[in-house]
Amino acid sequence: MSVFLQPIYTQTVGSGGAASVTFNSIPQTFTDLKVVVSARSTNASVGASLYYTINGNGTNIYSETRLDGNGASATSARETIRGSAVSLNVIPGANATSNTFGNLEIYIPNYTSSNFKSVIMDGVSENNATTAYQELGAQLIQLTSAISSITLSPDSNFAQYTTITIYGILRQGI
Amino acid sequence: MSMFPIASVTVGAGGSGSVILMDNIPQTFTHLQIRIFARGTASQANDLIYFWNAPSGITNSQWHNLFGDGSSAQSGNGTAAVYAGNVPAATSTSSVFGSIIVDILDYSNTNKLKTFRCFGGFNANGSGVTQLWSGLWIGANTAISSIRLNMGAGSFAQGTTVQLYGIQSSPTTGA
Repeated sequence: MSVFLQPIYTQTVGSGGAASVTFNSIPQTFTDLKVVVSARSTNASVGASLYYTINGNGTNIYSETRLDGNGASATSARETIRGSAVSLNVIPGANATSNTFGNLEIYIPNYTSSNFKSVIMDGVSENNATTAYQELGAQLIQLTSAISSITLSPDSNFAQYTTITIYGILRQGI
Repeated sequence: MSMFPIASVTVGAGGSGSVILMDNIPQTFTHLQIRIFARGTASQANDLIYFWNAPSGITNSQWHNLFGDGSSAQSGNGTAAVYAGNVPAATSTSSVFGSIIVDILDYSNTNKLKTFRCFGGFNANGSGVTQLWSGLWIGANTAISSIRLNMGAGSFAQGTTVQLYGIQSSPTTGA
């Protein structure tokens, strides 16, 4: 039976916070991966960055084209090769409204393919003020091996109650 | 399988008025997703759909958006509403509907205010928008048990469909 959307792993950050969240041993039996993030950072800012790396690889394999909003204006930018990770600008920091968490999704098609990985994401932060962040992004990960682990980390630490789930998506006919 | 249909509304002939209400949402899922395929009847090119939590409403709220209309991109903010986004209305090309996917993560988590993420758009052969809206319901950390969609003006047009899904998380961590 084909499974449309299957939760693989979920991690919830406890009372001490966490510098990062890593999902290991991702099964190779799905077609696509979807990462759903409800996160907040302890960084002293309204909006903090969320970084992710694949297979523990911190070399120059990550780049991105993105469209960003901040509640007042929109900009588009392209980041060329980065040294360590993809950077997404959409989780609230400690200066955002208390108990507010970002809401974002990272979609990774064909994660077991031997081609480079082409990733899309959309996300929002939120804040009870004029400034909050929205982002649509497309990332290229120049990695030809299958994705077996994903690590996510914010500026400073993840706040308590941050939750991240990885889903596997299976195409019809498998 | 982790994505389950909770409720589905299809607007028939004569429309459904300006409100679509989904009550008694089970508290047994982790996330909610709403898939909207909609058009309005107001005499204008497009119209905004907004949320209302029956019976008191989502008035204590903040919204932000990232918005493109085919010629420029912009970002905005405001208060006192949570919007899903724009859909075509009566003066837009006939038979064109807007599509919006709304994700509400941890909708029953009482440690979190509720952040709505709404990605959508429509193209009406010469007009249209692409849009990412967010909304923060500040009023309470309470679980969401009812969702009401309102059309800003006029009614939901015939052929509008709204589906509500519940999405589960995983009991294993993979750490």
